[in-house]
Amino acid sequence: MIDSNYLLLVFLVMTIATYISRLTPFIFFASGAETPVLKFIAKKIPPMVLTILVFYMLREVNYFSFEGAKTIIALLATSTLHFYKRNALLSILTGTIIYMSLVQI
Amino acid sequence: MKSIHELIYIYFFLNWAYAQLIEIKHLDKAQVIITKMISSALKITLPIFFGFLPLGIAFGLLFQELGYPWYYSTLMGIFVYAGAAQFMAIGLISAGIGLIEIAISTFFLNSRHLFYGLSFLKSFGNWNARKLYLIFGLTDETFSLMTTIKVPKNFNTERYYLLITLFSQIYWVLGCSIGALMGDFLTFNTEGMEFAATALFVVLLIEQWLKVRKPLPFIIALFSAFIAFIFFSQHMLLVAIILSIIVILLLRLIRAEEND
Repeated sequence: MIDSNYLLLVFLVMTIATYISRLTPFIFFASGAETPVLKFIAKKIPPMVLTILVFYMLREVNYFSFEGAKTIIALLATSTLHFYKRNALLSILTGTIIYMSLVQI
Repeated sequence: MKSIHELIYIYFFLNWAYAQLIEIKHLDKAQVIITKMISSALKITLPIFFGFLPLGIAFGLLFQELGYPWYYSTLMGIFVYAGAAQFMAIGLISAGIGLIEIAISTFFLNSRHLFYGLSFLKSFGNWNARKLYLIFGLTDETFSLMTTIKVPKNFNTERYYLLITLFSQIYWVLGCSIGALMGDFLTFNTEGMEFAATALFVVLLIEQWLKVRKPLPFIIALFSAFIAFIFFSQHMLLVAIILSIIVILLLRLIRAEEND
């Protein structure tokens, strides 16, 4: 039996839980009261988070397999193109199309 | 007869569109900037579009298997708006897990967001509805994009961020809806399209490198990610972020003492 009340309650608690996780730093640290340490952390978080996110996305790739080679090719295409042209959209589109065609062959 | 009707409609539509164009020419300066902001935000969020749409479709497809009407998937995209947590929830919902457990697992899965806001304490502006929405829409993708790009000088930062956040959520909701609504009829093979999200992060990482030009934060993060992956694979992202912050703070402390 499908119970939509349960589902709606799930949505409610998930919305609140997600929102709290995003809201907390704004509650704890008022925009005027930034200490030097906080500023330092805020500055270092973007490069660190992006490194971690890239690692995370690629963590389950087996680099010594045929599948892994496809990922490596697409990654090389994306990053080489981006260093060369610095057009984010072009790099992402090219990399994705290459990956899709390699995977779908 | 039908085609004549259509021609008439098209004619009127073109007339209307032309009138709109004429009007745009007479827009005042502020409106021109808003139009420019919208088109710029659309362009800059296009990578997120390519990341969110297939991921949203994949979510909708899975969600459909729960047996609920498709618009619940749309609702979830609108209100919950959390990629990984939504995927996790499918398993929990189908098992009928309790609400408190779902709330706690959602919070822990999203707890890396606890650190994202730190970079926007100032740039999200004063407390108002817009700020509340900007915080609501702070995902991995919008965080990465907004901390990496440079907002053009004549643009209002908060408004520009609002457009980026809004467009990104629209892409996600669109994906969730399409997947749940017409998953069965989808003929386009989207396999591998999820690479767009990885490619987006890679490109933004390169941009961060060109901006920061110091290897230390990248090396620390890589080291932390590796440690977290090996020892805490369940909560890898959160552990990696906390560990990298601790390490970089410790290094700062050591350096400060050396300088004293």
